[in-house]
Amino acid sequence: MSKNPFPLDKQGLLEAYRTMRTIREFEERVHNEFAKGDIPGFVHLYAGEEASGTGIMMHLNDRDRIASTHRGHGHCIAKGVDVKEMMGEIYGKAMGSCRGKGGSMHIADLSKGMMGANGILGAGAPLACGAALAAKFRGDGGVGISFVGDGASNQGMFLESLNLAAVWNLPAIFVVENNGYAESTSREYAVAVDSYVDRAAGFGLPGVTVDGTDFFAVYEAAGEIIKRAREGGGPALLECKMIRFFGHFEGDQQTYRGKGEVEHIRANQDCIKLFADKVLDAGVIKRPELEAIDKEIVKLIDEAVITAKAAPLPTAKDLMTDVYVTY
Amino acid sequence: MSEEPKLAPTVGIIANPVSARDIRRVIANATSLQITDRANIVLRVLACLKASGIERVVMMPDNGGIRHHVRRGVERSRNLGEHEFPDLSYLDMTVTGTVDDTVRAADLMRQQGIAAIVVLGGDGTHRAVVSRSGDIPIAGISTGTNNAFPEHREPTITGLAVGLAVTGRVPEAVAYAPNKKLVVRINDQAAEIALVDVALVTERVVGARALWKPETFRELFVTFAEPEVIGMSAIAGLLEPVKRSEPGGLHVLLAPTEEAALTLNVPIAPGYMRPIGIARWQRLSAGKAHGPQITSGSIALDGERELSFSERDRVSVMLEENAFRTVNVAAVMDYAARHGLMRQAGQKERKRQVS
Repeated sequence: MSKNPFPLDKQGLLEAYRTMRTIREFEERVHNEFAKGDIPGFVHLYAGEEASGTGIMMHLNDRDRIASTHRGHGHCIAKGVDVKEMMGEIYGKAMGSCRGKGGSMHIADLSKGMMGANGILGAGAPLACGAALAAKFRGDGGVGISFVGDGASNQGMFLESLNLAAVWNLPAIFVVENNGYAESTSREYAVAVDSYVDRAAGFGLPGVTVDGTDFFAVYEAAGEIIKRAREGGGPALLECKMIRFFGHFEGDQQTYRGKGEVEHIRANQDCIKLFADKVLDAGVIKRPELEAIDKEIVKLIDEAVITAKAAPLPTAKDLMTDVYVTY
Repeated sequence: MSEEPKLAPTVGIIANPVSARDIRRVIANATSLQITDRANIVLRVLACLKASGIERVVMMPDNGGIRHHVRRGVERSRNLGEHEFPDLSYLDMTVTGTVDDTVRAADLMRQQGIAAIVVLGGDGTHRAVVSRSGDIPIAGISTGTNNAFPEHREPTITGLAVGLAVTGRVPEAVAYAPNKKLVVRINDQAAEIALVDVALVTERVVGARALWKPETFRELFVTFAEPEVIGMSAIAGLLEPVKRSEPGGLHVLLAPTEEAALTLNVPIAPGYMRPIGIARWQRLSAGKAHGPQITSGSIALDGERELSFSERDRVSVMLEENAFRTVNVAAVMDYAARHGLMRQAGQKERKRQVS
């Protein structure tokens, strides 16, 4: 067998694959189940973007906090949130991560450092600044990471957060997951500054752009940025250029996308296929090892859906629990 | 165009917005020249091309903002009567937002018989242009990160020199300089090139592309080695300088510092000095293929990991001389000054001639 040429050992590579495959299977399944009409509310799927969340989150531990977006399932899974509880939450069941009151856009698990998906665009950025400020005060080397899309990067809160993080030299990292569309509006039309690196520079922090479909590009760049933040080097922005396989939300007709665009990216820019090709080609991992993981994940997601569907809804007496907090 | 008897030269401009965006901004405080700055460079070049007699310019289209800023700048400048610009058009091509655009644009410019190509970018963008530009001379403007290839100078002068060169007011022998390149072959795949350096490193993933971990460096080939540049070629430059204009290059075998015969302190990225272990080095002659010392790893072309190889692959690196031409800006401007190319008769003299 060849020497491992990758920045992760075999176990790490298998873990990366497992995380990305779990997200993909979860999202493909939610896509199918949503079409049946059993899932309440809206869902926004992360399929196609797995390399970004996974490549970043592999550098984090439970003490590091992230603030996600409306497209948050992938971030949750990569951050270690229980997949069955997530599915329960999406179905609005009492077993869910937030006891069924949050739904897809509000899955949170503070024990895993997941401060929540967020239906308000850009609203995660100031939360990540708060988490980063807390980590800085504690001096524990923790970081706060905010994810936004290219659309939310235009929000005032996001821009104010860049400023705040720079002024206070916070261990905060702003990840712009640029999939080219703010809902249906092209980034070219809607983002006045033409490069997120320029935008970061405008606030006095460094920015880096990587190919978000290349797990290793994300992993390596995120590793350096997170290490720098942990050691007091301050905030940075990371742009991951990526693509989404599905629409903005489930039910989106995607009339704004080019003909054959999705088929082309599924065939040529699938981040999981690209990852698998690399590790198999290097001989570090054998195909049956990946296939075994695939099987386990299908079973896991199957169980998650069956469990979620069968689980009870919250009752009327649960209405006021977990809603208000007394300090 | 082809039916016109005497063709006025058309100049091409390739400005790729994707350069200077990598991890070196975080690890080494590298510059990140903003898109508006790049557009302003294009405007300065356009004004000087016009001033030196160029009527037509064709540009690579992009969706990273340069095109929009240039359009607004031309409009604004015209409204204010500040500058005159040549007629500006864009190549008819699909924009991908990657380095492929640069390659495609250079290809189209060669097919269209462009007189010279002005390139804005780092070493990577220049390499992409040269991979397709054939015999068309290029003039480089540095907007990237390490930039050993494009000379550092105000773009105004580059634009002026290109205009003077392609309109034939400076003899070809003065106006253009030959350059060396390195050709990399893996098995029977199409050859890749590098303009400055080819580095072999032990990491086998292309990953974040940039090179900043000296413990992975194993071998370096350079076309020229200047002691006042940064990046991989600086290793060679600080060992044994080799001029762009002289024959041959340099081949350096590198090693982890604890195993090396010699350690050299080198700025391998902007503001990023690192000790580099040197095993040995020798002059590199043109036309001879070299196999690498390591059996697997990745190959960085002009400072960025581009290709990976394993024990199964046959890899060779070869230096080629007289590989492509550049506009010799310093020589053109020197000639222009000595031959009075920028002089015109003063008003007094003009009045005398009229009377």
